[in-house]
Amino acid sequence: MSADQLVTTEREVTAPAVVRKRRSLARPVLNVFMIVIGLVFLLPLLWLILASFNPSADGTLAMPHPFSLLNYHLVIRAGAGAAIRNSLYLAGVSTVIATAVSTMAGFMLARRKIRFKGLVLVLILFLTGLPITLLLIPTYQIFVHLNWLNSRFYTSLVLASMSVPFSIWLLKNFIGQVPGEFEEAAAIEGASEISILFRIVIPLIIPGILVAAILTFINSWGSFLIPLVLDANPSDTPGAVGIYQFMSANGQVQFGQLAAYSVLFSVPVIILYLISSRWLSGGFSFAGGVKG
Amino acid sequence: MAKIVLRRVTKSFGQKVAVDDLNLEVEDGEFVIVVGPSGCGKTTTLRMIAGFETPNMGTLHIGGTVMNHVPPKDRNLAMVFQNYALFPHMSVERNLSFGLRIRHTSKKEINTQVHEIAEMLDIRPLLDRKPAQLSGGERQRVALGRALLRKPQAFLLDEPLSNLDAALRTQMRFELKRIHAQFPVTTVYVTHDQVEAMTMADRIVLMNHGELQQVAPPETLYAEPVNVFAAGFIGSPKINLVSARIDHSGGGSALRCLATAIPVTTEIADQLRSAQSQTVTIGIRPEDILPQSPMDDAPGRAVISGTVEVIEPLGAETHIAVRVGDDILTCRTPPRSGLEMGSTVNLSFDIEQATIFDGTSGLRLC
Amino acid sequence: MTTLAEPPTSDDIAIAEPRLRSAIRHVVTTAWLLPSAALLIGLFIIPTCYAVYLGFTNLELLGQYAQNYNFTGLANLQRMIHDPTFWLSVKLTLIFVIGSGVIAQTVLGLALALLGQRVNVIVRSSVGAIVILAWVLPEITVAFVWYSFSQAGGTLSHLFGAPNSDLLSTVPMLVVSMANAWRGTAFSMLLLSAGLRNVPREVDEAAQLEGAGYWRRLFTVTLPIMRPTLMINLLLITLATISDFTLIFAMTQGGPGNQTAILPVYMYIEAFQFNQLGYGTTIALTLVLIGAILSIAYIRQLRPELQASTS
Repeated sequence: MSADQLVTTEREVTAPAVVRKRRSLARPVLNVFMIVIGLVFLLPLLWLILASFNPSADGTLAMPHPFSLLNYHLVIRAGAGAAIRNSLYLAGVSTVIATAVSTMAGFMLARRKIRFKGLVLVLILFLTGLPITLLLIPTYQIFVHLNWLNSRFYTSLVLASMSVPFSIWLLKNFIGQVPGEFEEAAAIEGASEISILFRIVIPLIIPGILVAAILTFINSWGSFLIPLVLDANPSDTPGAVGIYQFMSANGQVQFGQLAAYSVLFSVPVIILYLISSRWLSGGFSFAGGVKG
Repeated sequence: MAKIVLRRVTKSFGQKVAVDDLNLEVEDGEFVIVVGPSGCGKTTTLRMIAGFETPNMGTLHIGGTVMNHVPPKDRNLAMVFQNYALFPHMSVERNLSFGLRIRHTSKKEINTQVHEIAEMLDIRPLLDRKPAQLSGGERQRVALGRALLRKPQAFLLDEPLSNLDAALRTQMRFELKRIHAQFPVTTVYVTHDQVEAMTMADRIVLMNHGELQQVAPPETLYAEPVNVFAAGFIGSPKINLVSARIDHSGGGSALRCLATAIPVTTEIADQLRSAQSQTVTIGIRPEDILPQSPMDDAPGRAVISGTVEVIEPLGAETHIAVRVGDDILTCRTPPRSGLEMGSTVNLSFDIEQATIFDGTSGLRLC
Repeated sequence: MTTLAEPPTSDDIAIAEPRLRSAIRHVVTTAWLLPSAALLIGLFIIPTCYAVYLGFTNLELLGQYAQNYNFTGLANLQRMIHDPTFWLSVKLTLIFVIGSGVIAQTVLGLALALLGQRVNVIVRSSVGAIVILAWVLPEITVAFVWYSFSQAGGTLSHLFGAPNSDLLSTVPMLVVSMANAWRGTAFSMLLLSAGLRNVPREVDEAAQLEGAGYWRRLFTVTLPIMRPTLMINLLLITLATISDFTLIFAMTQGGPGNQTAILPVYMYIEAFQFNQLGYGTTIALTLVLIGAILSIAYIRQLRPELQASTS
């Protein structure tokens, strides 16, 4: 008999009915409680989706009569498509740059002896905590001097550098956990360093690279303040800024269209999150490569 | 195939000296086992031969060439790692053929060789599987196969059997000996298990605290250990080590221990004079101590009396631990010897069969 | 290369590594580190240093001080100290961070984590998914949804029993705090669930044996064991919330008036609407300082655990 059972038996002897009821009431009550919380959280999301299909939507949660795609048509015609393409550019370019650069740095930091490595790592960790609010104005000034304003590319560069510290930290830890024996085994089999890199190292760190890339993409996609300040070119407007402008543009807020715009803007990120969460929870294991 | 020579090789990590002034020659085709307790420097030595560590001092020669700074990939060695290091993202077949593919061997040639080795090691049905799907013994054989395929000039093995269960370990010991008979490649094998060392080695290299203790064939190491450490490390059950005082008073010389005085011949007495102090350590193997019936005579043998403390029946024989004063002696007796815990028993041994070590330095005197 | 025929004459031989190979290695290592270093130095470190300087100048967005600006010493600081809006902003920031960040998200996250342990798997997964979905949404979407909800006639106004009032005008801080809590709870939920899983079951079972009830066990056993996780959670929430711009700006632009002008928003308004780039930087520096002070406070709380785990 386990200790738990021992205690239960004693209790049951003294006050069986009460204890039994309390114990078996607990679970359903908790379930209901959690469901209620879930529903409260669901409300805004539900409104968003329903409103996007409702040409006469307002701030109230209501079923659309009729269900229509009109909002989507209208908002794409009004520029949502172009804005989302811009977001794709910004997020895409910044992800490629940030991930490539961070993988190279993370690899070296994980594997090679470097002078002042400890100091560098602390600095990088510290940089992950610095808010963009501090960097915004000086970066703007610097861009004014360099004439880098109003450019999608240079804005992407800024977005990339925002993600680099965290990506380096993530990749350095990930690569550090890959046992060095695989590289040693390949070396003794006669593989040159380049060969080891492409045949062994890269295949093994792809999951880490993908996580870093996805996180960078999600961050850059939703970026608002930086493009707002650094790129005033109307044709470069990304989704987040576009939605904001649309909100304050017309006299009357177009709830339905904005809902459609928001849904279009949010879907890619949600999909990416779903894909990556499977990997994240699946874990990265080097099963079979090493004993135990 | 090549001879491996280490001359005055030293390796330190920061303040810690892992390998101290090591001199070792491994003959071409020899199966050498480097053994010792954890931290004795055996793995570091192996890694220096492989090229993953560089000696701070001394020279390493493989096949007659100095190899101190030659990168591992150019040394034409093969290694079975402690954790197998099978590439997890490749199938067994691709793991085996990795070295050959690096060297751009033809597909046909690769295919032939891989299947040959797979046949020999009985891993043919596993060729398409990934390492994660194999058992420990299977992974080990794949690691062996990968090493064998390249026909290297030497094999290095780093505790390859340590994670296998006892039955599999015994089986793999036979396999390895058989493979070495078939491919007599120079082999350096590292382990902490002295049974593996005794059963498989042509010569054993015993190390402790980074220093070489003794290099000798198993029987020699067992019968003529060079110091107390060597005597204690090799042999199961462990050798009995008893402290004794040299007594030159009276007519001849004697060793005082175990509550008795054991007379020694003049030959031995002379060898004892070179001792640094008056105390020595006597090493007696458990099989050299026999229960002595009080009725029988035991000419030339010292007889002592003690109490049985522990009885360990092993089936074919029984080990008993007998307390004699402050010492406990282990001896091997036939099964069903009729002894009981707490009973008094007489034991006898011949001092000529024992090894005597200096009480201070631990070195063997005779 | 020496052969064995000639034994080495000197006793200690150290053969040096071929210079070329180690030189190449160094070059490659440096080359791989360079791009990150360039990005970080150019777009992170230099702007930070520049910010420290700019905070003490009279740089403006347009006008005479856009091109020729001067170092003005402590003038900005003086201005800030005497600026009532600044102090209001600090107060609002602290309310926002502590109220909707630290308290709301942690409590909700903890509640969900605790509930998650005891409920039906399906309930846990689906509610978890919904909460996480709120977190994954781009911030502008969250802003828009809650904006709409709290308009006159919006569902939130109905729930509050004031269907005709624009909640963003009447209770702006409350609405943005709710929006932020709705958005951020998932992070705490995930982090604290992981922390809960790490509490050894035997400890809780031992407490049960001693006769402790659920709430007592929670407060005297479970939460104290989870202290490091809780602290890290608080630290991360604080850092994220204190510099949050988009949510509030998109919903209220800091208004009505200055009623929701937390520091990041105030900084933006001063810098890009009132042209005061220098002063804006001073505000930003103050923001970072506050964040640093809070971080140090949290890390101090963590120190005994950190020392224990490294000894």
